[in-house]
Amino acid sequence: MIVSLRNSYLKRRKTLKKSLLTVAAVLAAGMFSANAHAVDSTGCGLGSLAWRGQKGPIPQLLAVTTNGTFGNQTFGISSGTSGCDPHGRITGGTGSMALAFLENNMEQFAMDASAGHGETIDTLAGILNVDSEKLGEISKTNFATLFPSDNVDAVDVTVNLLALI
Amino acid sequence: MPIIVFLITILLSFSAWAQTEIYAQDSQWLALLHYQPQLISKDESTIDSDNFFLSPVGKYNPEAELAATIHLFEDTTDNDKKCLFPARYKWLKKKGLISKPFPKCEEWESFYDDIRPAGVTLLFTNAYMNNPASLFGHTLLRIDTARKGTQLLAHGANYGAFTGEQNGLLFAIYGLTGGYFGGFTVKPYYQIVNEYNNIENRDIWELNLNLSPEELDFTMAHLWEIGQTRTSYYFFTENCSYMLLELLDAVRPDLKLSQQFPVHAIPLDTFKAVASRPDFVKGINYRPSRQNKIIYRYKQMNSAQKEVYKDIIKNQNFDYRNLSEQEKAGVIETAYQYVQYQYVAEKLELGDYRKQSFKLLKERNSLGKNDNLKELTEGKNPLQAHESAQTGIGIGNHNGEMFQQINGRPAYTSLLDRSYGLLSGAEINFLNIAARHYDNSNKFVLQNLKIVGITSIFPVDFMFRPISYNIHAELNREMNPETEDEGYVFEIHGGAGGAYALTDNIKAYGFVNNHLGYGGFLPHNSYAGIGPEVGIYADYGKWRLLASAEKVFATSKFADKMKYNAGISFDLNKNMALQLNYKFNDNHGHNEEETMLNWQIFY
Repeated sequence: MIVSLRNSYLKRRKTLKKSLLTVAAVLAAGMFSANAHAVDSTGCGLGSLAWRGQKGPIPQLLAVTTNGTFGNQTFGISSGTSGCDPHGRITGGTGSMALAFLENNMEQFAMDASAGHGETIDTLAGILNVDSEKLGEISKTNFATLFPSDNVDAVDVTVNLLALI
Repeated sequence: MPIIVFLITILLSFSAWAQTEIYAQDSQWLALLHYQPQLISKDESTIDSDNFFLSPVGKYNPEAELAATIHLFEDTTDNDKKCLFPARYKWLKKKGLISKPFPKCEEWESFYDDIRPAGVTLLFTNAYMNNPASLFGHTLLRIDTARKGTQLLAHGANYGAFTGEQNGLLFAIYGLTGGYFGGFTVKPYYQIVNEYNNIENRDIWELNLNLSPEELDFTMAHLWEIGQTRTSYYFFTENCSYMLLELLDAVRPDLKLSQQFPVHAIPLDTFKAVASRPDFVKGINYRPSRQNKIIYRYKQMNSAQKEVYKDIIKNQNFDYRNLSEQEKAGVIETAYQYVQYQYVAEKLELGDYRKQSFKLLKERNSLGKNDNLKELTEGKNPLQAHESAQTGIGIGNHNGEMFQQINGRPAYTSLLDRSYGLLSGAEINFLNIAARHYDNSNKFVLQNLKIVGITSIFPVDFMFRPISYNIHAELNREMNPETEDEGYVFEIHGGAGGAYALTDNIKAYGFVNNHLGYGGFLPHNSYAGIGPEVGIYADYGKWRLLASAEKVFATSKFADKMKYNAGISFDLNKNMALQLNYKFNDNHGHNEEETMLNWQIFY
């Protein structure tokens, strides 16, 4: 009884302390009202969405990075927001790490592969444990094999890439 | 005999109690449990989850919690529970308060192994003017990785509110009153880079922290502990940035970061506080937004390149004329980034997006490895931005009457303030208050209370078409010129429009504003109005100028006026400026004219 009384008292005091700031920012934020939507799941990465032809979730992705708006996942069980990776963590073997990375970085990898160098090449070289200079060369030379058409998806590219090295 | 046993037991437990009492006040123990001093009561933990406390009174009682934690590790076999508290275990062990080994904990170990920590970096992302929740920027932690490759394979640890579906107003109310629970989430850094750099076009600043291997392990262990918990989320106080400070305090209690922010934690202020701690920072690194990268690349292009580039992105005419191979590569890589930008901004249909992207990729693949453009690697360091709070004193003349003014605000920046390290063209003012003493009438009055004022002036060009806007809620002391009555008017006004860059430093802008006002002394008490406004904003680094004219058409004669405003501000140093303001209002022949010189310090 005493504990619960104390709790409610403390809660009230906390609310009071914040009331002034509350008034100010309710006014501020209320006038915008747009864009503060939250999301439960935001699907996979940007690149994969685009290349797979899923257009809808982009506005949801936009909402993810606002300070307050995140899904309702719990930490360590299904933290993060990726629908591709339920743990929100980089995990698993070479193939699944490469796939998860490409699902999020397809469009940048496409340009880096086309030119033969770049941050995504360096990253994939780390995942695949190969020399990044060499991976750049292989990707550039075999670009048409890696990306045979404009509707290729991350799974195809991963399979093609693993076959090349 | 039983009495002696009883007495010995009492003595022993008393000495154990005395020992726990001392350790319970250890600064690291207090920080590990997130105890914070309260105004009129004993310390209380910020964490609100019951499962974070082993003692029923643990939220308020460090000693009881310490005794319960020692009991858990020494006297029980509840490994599931032990696995929730690896940092407490490390601390107890270091202090010699326990001797039993830490159990095997699969989930905690796989968390640690996946993250593969190598260091800790504090990330600051700058303001996102399209969302009220992001006006002040954001901070999150990155656990750097020891994996081969790049730091794209690191993980971000983010503290945020779990909101579910809410509209803006409810979001604001809940966010401000602790109606949401906040908690930590982790995700790969490459996702964070995508979200901030590539989708929202915000810069990321990476502050590499100088932690020992033990401190790094302790960070991981404590992240695991609070990762299982929830806390009431308060937009201004117990927010994303504040909780990171409590986390860092638990790792190194001497930092005393959280106690520096008892009332409000502005992300950039917390970033500066962390950077200011001796021996705590190794370096800072800049990761520009996609938009800034595109602009930087475009500015380097020669005129032939610019022509080809415009023709590609505007007309989808992929004619490279006689550009050299490297010039061509530079154009293609920039155009490719712009196509990605357009798709994210929903200005390009999927089919066109794919076609254009692929065309550029194939063309780029036919060229050599290098292009002729450099990548953007340096930005204006937000650590060098002016401080958030401001106070000023001024003297002026209002319709022939001299006055002295004192003004101040807790946050954040005005268009006329030095913009270095912040977004030039973005104004965010909270609780800006001004009081005046008028000489003739010898009265001291509240002149103006700007509850909130947000202005965003970003120029439209052939690539980017941002909407400029402004929104203000304020209380002003005004005079009804017909009756010469003075009183307070509460006004909400704002509108949207566009801006155009005349040069790199000068922007012209236009708004169509709406006005709603209420004042008890006014005829009909209230008014509504609409006002087209044009203005010029110049930012030359050390000095800024803002001049505007607005014609307000209003339902009340009082508010129906032509308004002219001009201000100029010179920096005396990073945190000190002199500002001169002039205002002239024409209200059906009743003129109001005011000049003021204001000396401002930022702190």
